[in-house]
Amino acid sequence: MPFGLVKMSEIRPLQEHDLPAVADMFRVVLRKNSIPATPSLPSYLKSIFLDAPDFDPDLASKVHVRSDGRVSGFMGVLPLRMELRGEHVRAATCGSFMVEAHEEDPFAGARLLREVLSGPQDLSFSETSNDISTTMWRKMRATVAAPYSLEWLRVMRPASFVLEVGAGRFAPLRFLKPLVSPFDTLGRRSRARQTWSHYLPLAGKADAFTDTEASETESAALIPTLLASFALRPQWTPQQLEAMMIHARTKAVHGERVLRIVRTGSGKPIGLFIYYGDPGRIGRVVQIIALAGQEATVIDRLLKHAEERGMAAMRGRTQPALLEAMLGRKFAFVHASSTVVHSRRPELIEAVTTGHAFLNGFAGEGWTRLIGDRFD
Amino acid sequence: MTDGIHTDIRTFIIESFLFGDDSQALSDDMSLIDNDLVDSTGILELVGFLEERFAVKIADADIVPANLDTIGKIAAFVARKQVS
Repeated sequence: MPFGLVKMSEIRPLQEHDLPAVADMFRVVLRKNSIPATPSLPSYLKSIFLDAPDFDPDLASKVHVRSDGRVSGFMGVLPLRMELRGEHVRAATCGSFMVEAHEEDPFAGARLLREVLSGPQDLSFSETSNDISTTMWRKMRATVAAPYSLEWLRVMRPASFVLEVGAGRFAPLRFLKPLVSPFDTLGRRSRARQTWSHYLPLAGKADAFTDTEASETESAALIPTLLASFALRPQWTPQQLEAMMIHARTKAVHGERVLRIVRTGSGKPIGLFIYYGDPGRIGRVVQIIALAGQEATVIDRLLKHAEERGMAAMRGRTQPALLEAMLGRKFAFVHASSTVVHSRRPELIEAVTTGHAFLNGFAGEGWTRLIGDRFD
Repeated sequence: MTDGIHTDIRTFIIESFLFGDDSQALSDDMSLIDNDLVDSTGILELVGFLEERFAVKIADADIVPANLDTIGKIAAFVARKQVS
């Protein structure tokens, strides 16, 4: 650098040599983990943010680089082809928004967000926006999509559920499992209707349907049909969807993956569900997709399957199309993070605010291994 | 002209970050960052205000404390932007 010139901090596209620093930030800022990152995390970040088949250099992830050359901020961007009533929409799925040493450069996060939102995309959104980040998005005139921003929870076995919540902080508590399970069994006796605390596999309309284990190939082929009723939806090819599902087969923290297609008695598919969770644990639902009008049946099949599998509870992210079907089924709703959307095109925002957009899960960050996998 | 810029910026900061409380001393060289008046969220609001009120385009690289940490720096920055 010529004498007298001072290098300023900058925002620029993510490059391969930034990955170790981004991985370290991810570990410290988002995972609150003091154990140094192994090479598997930078390698994974490379695979989704730089080497993905649909990588678009115009919609690249961005880093904030301090004047001393150190990477101190990151916003991940996954390009997503969408369509609004047949018209192509270029979308940017944003996530893993993080800044370290905030006090040394208090504007780093603001600059990152501005830079990403000023890109050439028609629509930007994030499904994992925390309160601070949501406030920043709002200042950029983004819209918080409330019906997409709730976590739903269905407790199935209350004693096991409480134990699992505790074990999330102190894993050895799981040794108490044999002691608490009888309480769940006792609690279910002499009940004839659903309650907030217990799920009962009662006879109903859903019994006329089946759900069977599905391959990634058949699920990927089905999803575009299931999405047809959404005005604003991803334009995935079956190949892209299959690749996403293969990619996210394992989430070590969340447990084994369950992927099932729901069918009528005659074998016609009406929906599918995907969740992660080992028996006895809290299952994390990544996606429930159903033909319009069949949401309740698919949800009932999911709950029945989870009950038979011995899940303590199930949780997932709301979508407006599912909310109505969840009413009356003893779901609880809490807010943990928000789905925020930004666009200069009012018709795109309207599609979201009216609930006609397919967002979250595969159309978001939730499907990636960044949510729920370990990188030891 | 610069006086007008100063006044508008001061008014905006009082209304947006001090909730209308103008009893606090707010000198031209008081650091908005060190005094916890402006953070990552506030700066987006401030930049949006400057772009709209003074019809200037603020680049990402402009969003640094050297330009935006005090009322004096902000006013000088806006004046430079309006000339360029």
